[in-house]
Amino acid sequence: MTLGSLAPPKRSGEFREVLVARLKAAGALCATAYAIVVVGYWYHQVVRAEHYRQLAENNRLREREIQAPRGLVEDRRGRLLVENVPSYSLLIDRNQLRDRGASLAFAASVLGRPRADLEVRLASAGGSRFEPAVLMEDLDLEQVARFEAAAWEHPEFSVEVTQRRLYRHGAQTAHVLGYLGQVTQADLERAAGALRSGDLVGRNGLEEQYDQRLRGRDGSQVVVVDSRGRRIEQVRRVGALPGQRLRLSLDLELQQVAAEELADRAGVVVALDPRSGAVRALLSSPSFDPNRFARGLDSREWQELVEAPHDPLQNRAIYNAYSPGSVFKIVVAMAALERGVATPDTSVWCAGQKRYWERPRRCWKRVGHGRVDLHEALQFSCDIYFYEIGQALGVDAIAEWARRFGLGQTSGIDLSGERAGLVPSSEWSQRARRSPWYPGETISVSIGQGPLLVTPLQVAVMMAAVANGGYLVTPHLIEHTEPELRPIELDRGHLRVVHEALKAVVNDRGSGQNAALPTIELAGKTGTAQVIEQRTWTDSDTLPFEHRDHAWFASYGPADEPELVVVVFVEHGGLGSRSAAPLARKIYERAFRVARRQGV
Amino acid sequence: MSVLSASPVARASDSWSVGRRLSGAIRSLILTSIVLAVSGAAAIHSASAEIGVAYLPRQAVWVLLGIVVMAVSALLDYHFVLRLAVWLYAVGVVAVTLILIFGHEAGGARSWVGVAGLGGQPSDFAKLATVLLLTHFLGGVRLEMLELRHVAVSALIVGVPVGLIALQPDLGGAAMFGPILIGIVFVAGVRARLVVGGAAIVLLLGGALFFFGMKDYQRERILSFVSPQHDPLGAGYQIRQSKIAVGSGAVLGKGYMQGTQSQLRFLPARHTDFVFAVVAEESGFLGVAFILGLYGVWMASGLRIALRARDRQGLLLAAGLLSAIAAHVLYNTGMVIGLVPVTGIPLPFLSYGGSFTLFCFAATGLLIGIDRRRYVNRARAR
Repeated sequence: MTLGSLAPPKRSGEFREVLVARLKAAGALCATAYAIVVVGYWYHQVVRAEHYRQLAENNRLREREIQAPRGLVEDRRGRLLVENVPSYSLLIDRNQLRDRGASLAFAASVLGRPRADLEVRLASAGGSRFEPAVLMEDLDLEQVARFEAAAWEHPEFSVEVTQRRLYRHGAQTAHVLGYLGQVTQADLERAAGALRSGDLVGRNGLEEQYDQRLRGRDGSQVVVVDSRGRRIEQVRRVGALPGQRLRLSLDLELQQVAAEELADRAGVVVALDPRSGAVRALLSSPSFDPNRFARGLDSREWQELVEAPHDPLQNRAIYNAYSPGSVFKIVVAMAALERGVATPDTSVWCAGQKRYWERPRRCWKRVGHGRVDLHEALQFSCDIYFYEIGQALGVDAIAEWARRFGLGQTSGIDLSGERAGLVPSSEWSQRARRSPWYPGETISVSIGQGPLLVTPLQVAVMMAAVANGGYLVTPHLIEHTEPELRPIELDRGHLRVVHEALKAVVNDRGSGQNAALPTIELAGKTGTAQVIEQRTWTDSDTLPFEHRDHAWFASYGPADEPELVVVVFVEHGGLGSRSAAPLARKIYERAFRVARRQGV
Repeated sequence: MSVLSASPVARASDSWSVGRRLSGAIRSLILTSIVLAVSGAAAIHSASAEIGVAYLPRQAVWVLLGIVVMAVSALLDYHFVLRLAVWLYAVGVVAVTLILIFGHEAGGARSWVGVAGLGGQPSDFAKLATVLLLTHFLGGVRLEMLELRHVAVSALIVGVPVGLIALQPDLGGAAMFGPILIGIVFVAGVRARLVVGGAAIVLLLGGALFFFGMKDYQRERILSFVSPQHDPLGAGYQIRQSKIAVGSGAVLGKGYMQGTQSQLRFLPARHTDFVFAVVAEESGFLGVAFILGLYGVWMASGLRIALRARDRQGLLLAAGLLSAIAAHVLYNTGMVIGLVPVTGIPLPFLSYGGSFTLFCFAATGLLIGIDRRRYVNRARAR
């Protein structure tokens, strides 16, 4: 390298020449080291290439994943709800596939499937072609035996044992537990290495909510394999960390009673402990069998599920919001007492009909209730009484108390996809509808109609707050979480007035008589939410099914020391007293019979 | 003197900026670094094809950012950058400290921070800042040979970030500060007895670290290097698989995306520290020679720039940057064929990783800047 005339001028004190000389020496040293590296690669890739080619070809060390067993799920008494069962998958090694037609014909005959079907599956199998692809899942033992027996003629096939989720109670716990699905690209990005493609992750329900806890951590093993890829011995193993077992607060028996009683009707049963928020039953009907997801749904089956009537995939308890109907009168009564709009002695004359803002409004009882006070108004669900106090309160006071009792907001249950419902107010009307609130609408809201929408779970939280003396609970499905109770500022005396009325609903000629039990005093409120507006007094049961009213029954028991809140909601069930209340009674019967037997 | 008194970007009247073609060395640097980065992106794409995470678009973003960083550092006057060195160094040390306290664990070490979802490593920034401060300090020493106190201060400048990074624990990242110190101090001049004394101290510290300061997996890596046959299936697994991947690539390679060893996920860290094994397997010795040739051209150009640098600072800065890049290249390529123990050291321009890619382009830019200012009158710069 000639610096020549381009060389910069010398400067004193920099000792340039010395530095340049040393730098050249360092450069020479580096160049030597670099030459050694180049020679190293030349040695490995040119001189020893054949040796390494053979090693690669017979690379008998394979690193394989050890699937971590997913955590089991059990109910509050330790009864298993979800377990893992072995499942056999047929793998095909595309590198060893010599006669594609013959191979697939053989597989088709063993599996009893058309060859064209397997062709499609093989063509659509993703992943690297160097890795075996899954051709069929969930083989039975006879099929496994036939593939193993044919290993010599068909080395391209192998059988892999994996674990499949078995939901023991299928549709009965489907919405609570959720199911597993293939990991998506978005999941992989988010997990940053914790997941790999082909993994199953929780979708919906507790499988999603507690996915990380349930999943555990996969291990790995390095095994020596023979030239056919079959394992000879294991040389290193990093054990898998099994997922945690989940103990739920759910009571399997109550869940089953709910499922059996609701049968094929669309609706919801929620039962929870008002002292802690522990959910004892949470059923949404119609339901689906999550075991079909575990086996892998094809697109036709999925389409069927999505298009099935009444949306079986939807968890109605948290995702659908409905008019609460007369159940809402509990909130309006509390608001009136707290705001001083009414006292327990305030009475109203019900003639079965009254005009508000130039529109006649009816009580459900055509002949009217006569003179009723607050207790009787709740007991007999007199609409006119609530029109009166609702009008006096105004929509904003009603909205404030609805929110205090947990309506219009998510409850915070440990399930995803919860909806907040809607508690209308004048501010909401301006914001969402860009129109003022009409006083006439307040009349509808006072009896739980109008734009007001609540989820069945919210109604259960509201009832829990009534039952436990004014504490808002956060419902939860996992046992042993610290109960979260937030006090609502209210006068306990007012709450007692409501308690007495709700007792009378069930036990003293009220609309909830169908729920009454001989041994345990219950308290509750029925509701009948109109689906279409009715101008005359009609029996909903005579209407076409999709126009029939929704039936509600919200209750707790024992009345004086509540241990259980039960909310039953039946879509198009007609009168709450007829269809929802008897179902609640079945739940209490089972719950307290069980409790007595175990001496709790 | 105020730090900002000199214009950070040289004025148009400076002779270097107008009407002069880019020197051959500069053109070589730009060309090789971009070709290397593009080859790296292709290799990363192949290496991560099976993982299911799209590393290619992210690396593409880093390379584009890197080119911007290269342009900016080439335009800045390196004297100005050197005067900022103390502050940059302080920022680097604080960042490394914060990572030590708050960083989240990745592969057993707390070194990655999420920066706009792309991930960055403050130790790479600290590395650059350390080169700058060391140059700034030793550039001002007007002696033929450094005295003991100069060497001690230099060791302290390097020692602070090294200690913090080693605590993460990221021994590989910490070790790569060593060549920077050795390179700059050697060129600046050091007496033989100091070298011997320093080597003794390093050996003592190294021994203490090995027996008391290392995690089991780190100790095992070193043992398995010293004697790979001792445990071929445990810690030696990675070296063995890497060598098989490289060797079986032979002269022509197995073809892009066709490397059975790499695609079969035998190789851990194959898109980061072991990306060169993927290159070697898929493009053979021809590809290896091509890439190593590019590094050779890059380093020769850098050396030319260092040798004809205008002043002591420029020469030392170029020497420091060259030491850093050369050390990474030598160590990483050596590690892939088992010449040195496995530790997390990326390959410049090729490995996946944001902050290190930026470091490499910044170093290239600074070298360009040094060369473009080799004729500038001293008085004007000051």
